[in-house]
Amino acid sequence: MFNFILKRKTVDYAVTLFLLALGIMIIYPFLWMLSVSFERLANVELPFPPRLIPENFSWFNYKLVFENGMLIKAYLNSLTVAVFNVLLSVGAALLAGYAFSRGSFPGKKILFFVVLATMMIPFETRLIPMFTMFNSAGMINSKAPLIFPSILNALGILLAKQYFDRLPEGLRESAKVDGAREFTIFIRIFVPLTGPITATLAILAFQDSWNSFLWPLVVINDQALKTVPLFLSSFSGEDGQRLLGLTMATATMSILPILLVFLFFQKYIIRSVALSGLKGE
Amino acid sequence: MKWGNGQEHIRPTEMLKSLNRFRSKRESYLFWYMFLLPTILGIALFMLYPMIESFRLSMTRGGNEKFVGLDNYSRVLTSETFYHAVYNTLYITVFQLLIALPLGFIIACLINSLSKGKNFFKVLFYLPNVTSMVAAATVFLAVLHPEGLLNFALSKLGFPATIWLAHPTTAKWGVILLSVWNWLGFVIIINLANLQSISSDYYEAASVDGATRFQQWWKITIPNMTGSLGILFIVGWIGGLQRFSDAYMLGGLQGSPARSLHTIVGFIFERGFGGHEYGLASAASYVLFAFILFITFLNTKLSKMKI
Repeated sequence: MFNFILKRKTVDYAVTLFLLALGIMIIYPFLWMLSVSFERLANVELPFPPRLIPENFSWFNYKLVFENGMLIKAYLNSLTVAVFNVLLSVGAALLAGYAFSRGSFPGKKILFFVVLATMMIPFETRLIPMFTMFNSAGMINSKAPLIFPSILNALGILLAKQYFDRLPEGLRESAKVDGAREFTIFIRIFVPLTGPITATLAILAFQDSWNSFLWPLVVINDQALKTVPLFLSSFSGEDGQRLLGLTMATATMSILPILLVFLFFQKYIIRSVALSGLKGE
Repeated sequence: MKWGNGQEHIRPTEMLKSLNRFRSKRESYLFWYMFLLPTILGIALFMLYPMIESFRLSMTRGGNEKFVGLDNYSRVLTSETFYHAVYNTLYITVFQLLIALPLGFIIACLINSLSKGKNFFKVLFYLPNVTSMVAAATVFLAVLHPEGLLNFALSKLGFPATIWLAHPTTAKWGVILLSVWNWLGFVIIINLANLQSISSDYYEAASVDGATRFQQWWKITIPNMTGSLGILFIVGWIGGLQRFSDAYMLGGLQGSPARSLHTIVGFIFERGFGGHEYGLASAASYVLFAFILFITFLNTKLSKMKI
């Protein structure tokens, strides 16, 4: 076949070139977004034909976005919610994962089955009672409904359990012989070993929290409490097809920080995503 | 401890010992339950209660929650709007999967075949998935603009310009493109992870036997990939049935134009929070649940996986 004629290296080059072309196509919308965001007149009329280098380069759109200040506020909201979500869901998942891995107690199997079963229950089926529950607790338009539900993290429990399962049993036995109590064993011996799984769980929880849209849309309508996706959606919903310069500047500012985080931690993030994906939702 | 086999006489000290052991065992049970307390609390408050309450609500109507039996279900299942929403959801998801799965698989195979630059391409293709769907959709609103990127590219290829978000079919294709663009990176990452877990021994043995790279791909790679493609298929279906953000961002609350972007979750959202029809929305949400259970059931049958 072709391989006999073409040298391996030539194939490699051809594949690289092809992937590069495809990759540029994939990220082209982002590059174009950047270009439109710097276009002085993009709010009047979308520059046509599309170009990568703006014709009338200006910081005008960014100036407006920052002067308005709502996006920065949304950023702080998203960040606060994400930090609490990570702490709560990772903490609860490590505790439960440890109990399911090392504990022996009545009902362990049934409880674990229940935890796994919750993964099949779509959030949408619980949406309305979740709303009415937080509503009657007077917590609508607060960060509470965005934070508390993350305490149940079934996928995290599964991943943490599997991680603890792989740690040698001798760890616990030797500490027990020394007379250490279970909680001390967990804190002193196991928690320091959980670095990799904690990082994975934290990344997944952060992503979930950061990208979540439907639930915040239901429980938040106070401008000052909006998260980034909420702010972006209300902004582009009103002006998405009109003030494109401003919309693209807002979109750029909402994507850029998370993009930098991704590029910085890409290895961990991609590994975590692969791990979570291969376990099935 | 040997209990009650009738052959050994149990002395009082031993009884005391076993009693102590029993007591400390109970303490250690309690201790493990403490570890599980946050999770049990979460299940009770955010899973069990909402599921029961949603089921109860699905049998009621109005602010006074009058009991109406299964009437909401029959209203949902005979509602043209709901059928339309189901149709839209399935249409978008079928094409999203038909395009993204093979494309992502092939790209993953190509990336995996490279000797250099694997990581670079992994990152490059994953970029659209890093951003939230809302941000991706905002960018896409401009891409689909009558004078946007897509029309420009099409006109270069000789196709006429289309006002994408003005016609039901083209609007759906706008969402399909957006969802493929957003999801492709995930498909590639999962496929790559699985490709890299295939032992290189197989390939070495095959090339010793003189198999070409294409033959190796066909006979070794494809059979080894059915598992992860199956998982992606199921995850894609479940995610697709729950789709909301992409269609909502392009079509708004009513899934405009002409409700062509109205999805199942969009229906639940609109009826529940736009119309305060909690009963009807809850019934629709249970129909969605049944859909997803069915898909999950198919999954376990197909992959013979234990839940």
